[in-house]
Amino acid sequence: MRTEPPNLLIVDDSTAIRKILLRVLNQTGLELGLVLEACDGKEALKVMEGKDISLILSDINMPNMDGLELLRTLRATPQWHDLPVVMITTEGGQARVQEAIDLGATSYVRKPFSADLLRDKLAALLSK
Amino acid sequence: MTQEQSGRVIPLQNEMAEMLFAATQEVFTSMLGSEIEQVPAPEAERSTPFDGVLSLIGLAGALIGNGALVCSEAAARDLSSRLLYAEFSHVDEQVLDAVGEITNMIVGGFKNLLEAHVGTLQMSIPSVIYGKNICTRDSKADVTVSVRCAFAGGEFGLTVRLAAARQ
Repeated sequence: MRTEPPNLLIVDDSTAIRKILLRVLNQTGLELGLVLEACDGKEALKVMEGKDISLILSDINMPNMDGLELLRTLRATPQWHDLPVVMITTEGGQARVQEAIDLGATSYVRKPFSADLLRDKLAALLSK
Repeated sequence: MTQEQSGRVIPLQNEMAEMLFAATQEVFTSMLGSEIEQVPAPEAERSTPFDGVLSLIGLAGALIGNGALVCSEAAARDLSSRLLYAEFSHVDEQVLDAVGEITNMIVGGFKNLLEAHVGTLQMSIPSVIYGKNICTRDSKADVTVSVRCAFAGGEFGLTVRLAAARQ
């Protein structure tokens, strides 16, 4: 049972999407700890150093290190192996979705998304 | 209904225009809280110099090319306001980022529909240009699909140009 409010990390090269996700997270009504942001996978790994992250929301198409590479790196790192990662991306093709699931994505949300559905999904994941 | 280009079977132009409009409608309904309608496209929209914002995303796979969104400065600010629930008095980094993301979602949605016909396609990240007298030149495309849309904040044009990839 978690006692501290969960820390989250949003990874997206678009500041617009990071802002939208932050807004959706605030609308869940759940008590949140830190909500950190990174513009690509490489920055995400730096931002995560020394932090107790409970959930990552990540885009796939990003410069430097994309979301699938980030996922691959996390799953190969014992500390982050079981960390829930939700992929939020325009890449809705079945092959791409399967690739993300095979790499260990916890859930997959296609952009454009309904804020209500995303809020419910995040609330369910964060309440676990 | 399909047509064959360089040995590849791809949807007809009007079917692709329907896919592009459907993808755009989904973005407006889900993310921008606005209705859109199709309006007649001006002739040769992208070959005439224009003032405003141009957002481009590359596509690659069995077909190569790009998808582009073109709009005025005022329409770009309005689109960004709808996405971010904020007012923008001028085009800044946030507006360019928002227009890039809207283009990303539209072209991504179109790509997802097209992939059912042509197989997996890859998308680049968006490049967004803001300025005056913007001129564009594209290599020869096998298919050019243009859709012009009107919404409460103005109009914007969408164009997808695709050619069969060289083997």
